[in-house]
Amino acid sequence: MATDDQERCRSCFLKWMNLQHQELSELDQALTLHASMTDSNEHNLSQLAQKCIKHFQDYADMRSQLAHNDVSAFLVPSWCTNWENCMLWLGGCRPSQYIRLVYALSGLEIEAQLDEFLQGTSTTGTLGDLSSKQFDLFNILQGKTIRSEEKLTARMASLQEDVADQPIAVIAKRLSRVGEMNWEVNRALDKQEEEMAGILEEADRLRLSTLKELVGILTPKQAVDFLAAGKKLHLCVHEWGKRNDDLRHGREEIIS
Amino acid sequence: MTEICCELASESSTSTPCEKNSRTARRRRMEIRRFKFVSSVASPVTERAQKRQKLGVYKPSLSRECENAVENSALEEEKPLSVVENGRSKTKEVLIPSQSSNFSMSTVCTSPSAPVVPEVCGEYPKFGVASVCGRRREMEDAVAIHPSFCRRDLETSTELHYYGVYDGHGCSHVATKCRERLHELVKEELESKEGSSTEWKTAMEQSFRRMDKEAIGWNDSVLGAKCKCELQSPDCDAVGSTAVVAIVTPEKIVVANCGDSRAVLCRNGKPVPLSSDHKPDRPDELNRIEAAGGRVIYWDGPRVLGVLAMSRAIGDNYLKPYVSCDPEVTITDRTAEDECLILASDGLWDVVSNEMACGVASMCLRGKSQAPPCSPAEVSGFENSDKVCSEASTLLTKLALARHSADNVSVVVVDLRRRDT
Repeated sequence: MATDDQERCRSCFLKWMNLQHQELSELDQALTLHASMTDSNEHNLSQLAQKCIKHFQDYADMRSQLAHNDVSAFLVPSWCTNWENCMLWLGGCRPSQYIRLVYALSGLEIEAQLDEFLQGTSTTGTLGDLSSKQFDLFNILQGKTIRSEEKLTARMASLQEDVADQPIAVIAKRLSRVGEMNWEVNRALDKQEEEMAGILEEADRLRLSTLKELVGILTPKQAVDFLAAGKKLHLCVHEWGKRNDDLRHGREEIIS
Repeated sequence: MTEICCELASESSTSTPCEKNSRTARRRRMEIRRFKFVSSVASPVTERAQKRQKLGVYKPSLSRECENAVENSALEEEKPLSVVENGRSKTKEVLIPSQSSNFSMSTVCTSPSAPVVPEVCGEYPKFGVASVCGRRREMEDAVAIHPSFCRRDLETSTELHYYGVYDGHGCSHVATKCRERLHELVKEELESKEGSSTEWKTAMEQSFRRMDKEAIGWNDSVLGAKCKCELQSPDCDAVGSTAVVAIVTPEKIVVANCGDSRAVLCRNGKPVPLSSDHKPDRPDELNRIEAAGGRVIYWDGPRVLGVLAMSRAIGDNYLKPYVSCDPEVTITDRTAEDECLILASDGLWDVVSNEMACGVASMCLRGKSQAPPCSPAEVSGFENSDKVCSEASTLLTKLALARHSADNVSVVVVDLRRRDT
């Protein structure tokens, strides 16, 4: 039943968000530990990063399965706020945002080190953690990711246009009563949904492959840093969205 | 013969560090910066007591990811050259491009704007390139680097090295075209002027004009082009590119600039601007535009006819003649204090001052020997020193992104230091 499906989708998301909280504290802990120790636990950091990616993979698999029953639940999730949904691209974040986050994190570091560097007192002799090689790889990854995003966006656009074309528009015109359902309508809408589920699946695949490649470019410490920042951002956006919507709908006093 | 000499060394304090407001900062720079054109006797021909290296065949490599290391271990040991008096009572040191027996060149370039790196034996300058899409979704910058792109045998037996940064607008195809063609045009112009080697200005102007014609001509037949504007060919007139080109000879740096990309010489840690941005509100540019019947309208900054935020560019046919393709050419004598040359698109200059860029580049060049080797991810096989320019250009690019540059960022750093010290 449709409501069951929706409930399953929602609980899949809630589990995922709980896992995000859990992973964030694990990542933070690992970073604190790493800072206080020598390089000995690089391997642990690497394993932790891989675990996060594995979880993401599992989540994407689960979504893909559920989406074949109810794709719209994932494309416009009722469990996210309107504000958060405005930020979504095909049911999630834009994979190109990962690279922007890397730039932001790298920028933070560079500004903090700049004075030391210019005075020649820098201990590392360089600015920011990212090497030239890494930087180049990010640039390549960014180009590739943006092109893939554009392709999926274009596919979604076609699908949206298709609604106003054969066969759906013609079926609607021929109906004797507005909103009437028949096998023809069902078949057309099912096909539409099936294709949307395919796009969602590919969008998730792109998110996952971009994340994998990016973590592969980063050192384990950088990767854990990045994942922690990303998860924190995601959780924040979700919470901020609730706050925003609540304020707008007058459901809650302004929190001091 | 007339030589245009750019005396800018005393004007190194033309911008302040930490310029967040780039437009104000740029305007300030422009107000202060004045080029002084001095007519003088041309320098005598330099005798080069070195063996000529045979030029190989240029083999452009256009792959998205090209990592070239040209090792030249069999290079002849070269003799130091005599100091040449150039007729302006200014002693000029002749730099020797390479004495090292295992000199090598490296560049790591990864964007669609990847410079074409010729596989050629010879003397190589040291340079580094970083060119990234940054916060834009389209890459419209292009970079071209051609070591030993041209020789003037009859004259000075001098090898000339070509560096160009092109920042496209409207689409990437004019910048791409510049990357593919401009150095060839410059080469043709220079070779056709054999016997009057100092007419740099004419040669550069002529090359830029020809480039402009080709760019516009190409716009007319843009069908089949692989760029985003292919579906909107009527708009193709509204596509253009900046071009800042530096030709480095053993004695001189010739810079031709058209648009708001910029060349800055880092001399003794201080910036010496070798080009002046062509902004519509630069007083002389404003006069030129208005004299031609055009107008500068403030619409998110000064723009020619309210459209283009620069007063000169290659392409942009619909804004002719207000937007001119004539470059301003400066010729600067190299000195022993020269550290490096920085060419970059406004993605860098909008957020990083000349001082800051020079400070970072020079710190990078000087301090590298003490620094630990780069991350293990670095491609091995490069001499440590060869990485320095790449590191410097990457560092400047990272700095630009750290400072929220919203544009594509392209930076070329050329090591100008004497190799024998």
